[in-house]
Amino acid sequence: MTTQQLPRFLTYQNIPLWRHVLIIQWTAQIVSAIVVVALVVWFFANVSNAIQDRDIPFGWSFLQREYQTPIGEHFIPYESSDTFLYALGVAITNTVIVAVAGVILAIILGIFIGVARLSSNWLVSRLALVYIEFFRNVPLLVQLLFWFFIILALPPVREGYAIGGFLYINNGGISMPWPLPNNLAMGLIWTAIAAAGVVVGILLNKRLSRKETETGQSTYPFIKGVAAAAGIAVAAWLILSLIAGESPFFLSVPGPEGRFGRIAGGFTARAGLLVLLVGLVIYTAAFIAEIVRAGIQSVGRGQTEAARALGLSPTNTLRQVIFPQALRVIIPPLISQCLNLTKNSSLGGAVGYTDLTNVAVTMTQTAPAISIFILIMASYLVMSLTWSLIGNIYNRMIEFGGRR
Amino acid sequence: MAAQTAPNAGYEIPPPRTEVGVVGWLTANLFSTWYNAALTLIAGAAIVLALWYGLGWVFTGADWTVIAKLGGRFVIGQYNTDAACAGNNCFWRPQAALLLVIALLGMAWGMKGNAVARNIAVGVTGIAAALAFLPYSMERMGLDVRLLLLAGIPALGAGYALARWTPLGTGLRITIAGVAVFLLTLVLLRGLPGVPGMQPVGVIYWGGLMLNLILAVGGITLSLPIGIALALGRRSNLPVVKALCVTFIEVFRGVPLITLLFMSQVLVPLAFPQDFPLNSLLRAGIIITMFSAAYMAENIRGGLQALHPGQAEAARALGLAGWQTTLLISLPQAIRNVIPAIVGQFIGLFKDTSLVYIIAMLDIVETGRTFILGNPEYLQSAKEMFVFVAIVFWIFTYGMSYVSSKVEESLGVGRR
Repeated sequence: MTTQQLPRFLTYQNIPLWRHVLIIQWTAQIVSAIVVVALVVWFFANVSNAIQDRDIPFGWSFLQREYQTPIGEHFIPYESSDTFLYALGVAITNTVIVAVAGVILAIILGIFIGVARLSSNWLVSRLALVYIEFFRNVPLLVQLLFWFFIILALPPVREGYAIGGFLYINNGGISMPWPLPNNLAMGLIWTAIAAAGVVVGILLNKRLSRKETETGQSTYPFIKGVAAAAGIAVAAWLILSLIAGESPFFLSVPGPEGRFGRIAGGFTARAGLLVLLVGLVIYTAAFIAEIVRAGIQSVGRGQTEAARALGLSPTNTLRQVIFPQALRVIIPPLISQCLNLTKNSSLGGAVGYTDLTNVAVTMTQTAPAISIFILIMASYLVMSLTWSLIGNIYNRMIEFGGRR
Repeated sequence: MAAQTAPNAGYEIPPPRTEVGVVGWLTANLFSTWYNAALTLIAGAAIVLALWYGLGWVFTGADWTVIAKLGGRFVIGQYNTDAACAGNNCFWRPQAALLLVIALLGMAWGMKGNAVARNIAVGVTGIAAALAFLPYSMERMGLDVRLLLLAGIPALGAGYALARWTPLGTGLRITIAGVAVFLLTLVLLRGLPGVPGMQPVGVIYWGGLMLNLILAVGGITLSLPIGIALALGRRSNLPVVKALCVTFIEVFRGVPLITLLFMSQVLVPLAFPQDFPLNSLLRAGIIITMFSAAYMAENIRGGLQALHPGQAEAARALGLAGWQTTLLISLPQAIRNVIPAIVGQFIGLFKDTSLVYIIAMLDIVETGRTFILGNPEYLQSAKEMFVFVAIVFWIFTYGMSYVSSKVEESLGVGRR
């Protein structure tokens, strides 16, 4: 009725323009797009003004320049004369190494504490609860600084603790025995063969497990798989030793060296790396433990009871009935914890570890800040996407067939 | 009589002694099998050792003088130093803000009248009053300061009375009062040029726990509505709005907060005209809020996705408009279902306020760190200091999760 009194150009499909859902939606979209675009343009105009007026450098040529600044911790060879681009690569390696090592250790510790939290033993489950409630609720930075100053307050290298002549603890970090290759080529060949052996072992384990499920006969899949992997590794070790006249690896034991008692040999986990890793693992494990607990509790009680009624042992019930089902609930939040751990490694700068953020912050003193930040934002986004990708692939693997 | 009510009394055998009472509890929970018994012994030994050495350290080994040495610095940072406030007579301003907050807590207690509100209000007032009797060394703590701390008790009573016996005691009015108190606190701390006793204090001098709390309160209040808007935008069927929200959420979630904060220091000033009034506190607050809002959006999206589509369909069938369906039907249920996740995000935000060290703001953690680094003779006391800071944080975060569990209880989550 109203529409008949309205001029035609104010209606669409006989509905007033201001009440038509399509019109309202499109107006909202166009307005929000214009606002955002206008803001972005305004920001860019301001930035380019600032670049011109205040003579702030911007560009990518710095990447080929020499960085000229030492990087405290580096896992790939690095000299001060290397370029900015290479230094960024070193920093990214540092972050990736801490992230991967931290995730593996945090998952192990987190599952352990999550299972302890559900233990029927009252004392053990209380202990796990105290761990979770404390470490989850205190900022990571405070925990990191606590560990950092404990290490810093240790005696210096020359007066450090030497335990049994092979473990050295001082304010520089912890030195421990570590296998090193006698000959790089032989070391690599043996590592490759041993890795192949592990793959063979896993395949054998899968095959025997399937046979066991199908026929009901005991095939000992786990023992035989481990034996195959170990056998291949040992055989390769012996053969390579015979060919080269020396074993592929030797155990390098650290010891004081020279006038200043510097610890040489073995592997030295330096204070920054050690503190960052310990702090990240303890902090993230508290979150992972809660995720594991929630995941296990999400599996119905009937599942446990049915498995026990079928005669499965408590260990087998947990391993073969509860965990596979709980995993589907656990994986998505677990992946977001991996992501958090990776991002939290950016606190390394506070404890003297040269992670990506720390190096980038230092770089802004000699290179254009805008370019540096575009690069590190891209790096972190790629790392996040990689974790999401791993999570999605794994999630698809463990999903029930035809569940969605 | 007894024979009639219990005809089989003679046949009832009491349960075996190993099944009831202390012995029964011990058997069931600690010594049910041999490996459980072993676990109990190991865990018990660990607890005894930890308590023995831990308590021994706390009471005899540790040197807590560093805490007293820094004293008020932990609470207000450099706010009352000469550089910030010539004449050192600005201490009353954070204290007046504290009184306002206590009065607000008293109002909440007066309106709700429940145990949670009471515990928090009385707890905060009690801690403030207890501080009045502590010896301070680094901050001047005269009689006026101590009296202002004790004034929390009448302030609590005044707030309680206001909510109880005046028309102020409704949820909406107390919310408005809360916002007013927050803004008034900011004005009090910042100062007003030209007003006697209110000389401006630069935000770079704001510090200590006060800074953490200001950033957390501001961030929490703003990140929830922004997060809701982003979650709704991400689920909307308008492609442009959806794309904008997804980009915002993923960019802020993909980059560490510390990187964003540093960027706010270096790049944000470039993105605004040179005379744009944007100080470091405001920048940090905006970045922390945006970062938290991106996470909040994902939590709320989870709640919206878990909602049965029948709810929205029924609302539409009853003739509710789209915005009514969202605001009255979908959102309340979605938020109720993800309260733990939302509070978890609030706790995360509060913990994240410690990251402002990267832009040289001296919050409670950075106050301690710079003190140790500047006074190496206190290096051995760093343990004590960070244990103290950890406990302060823990009290707040644990308090938040306690309130959240009570709110969940009162909303009947898990019972419907």
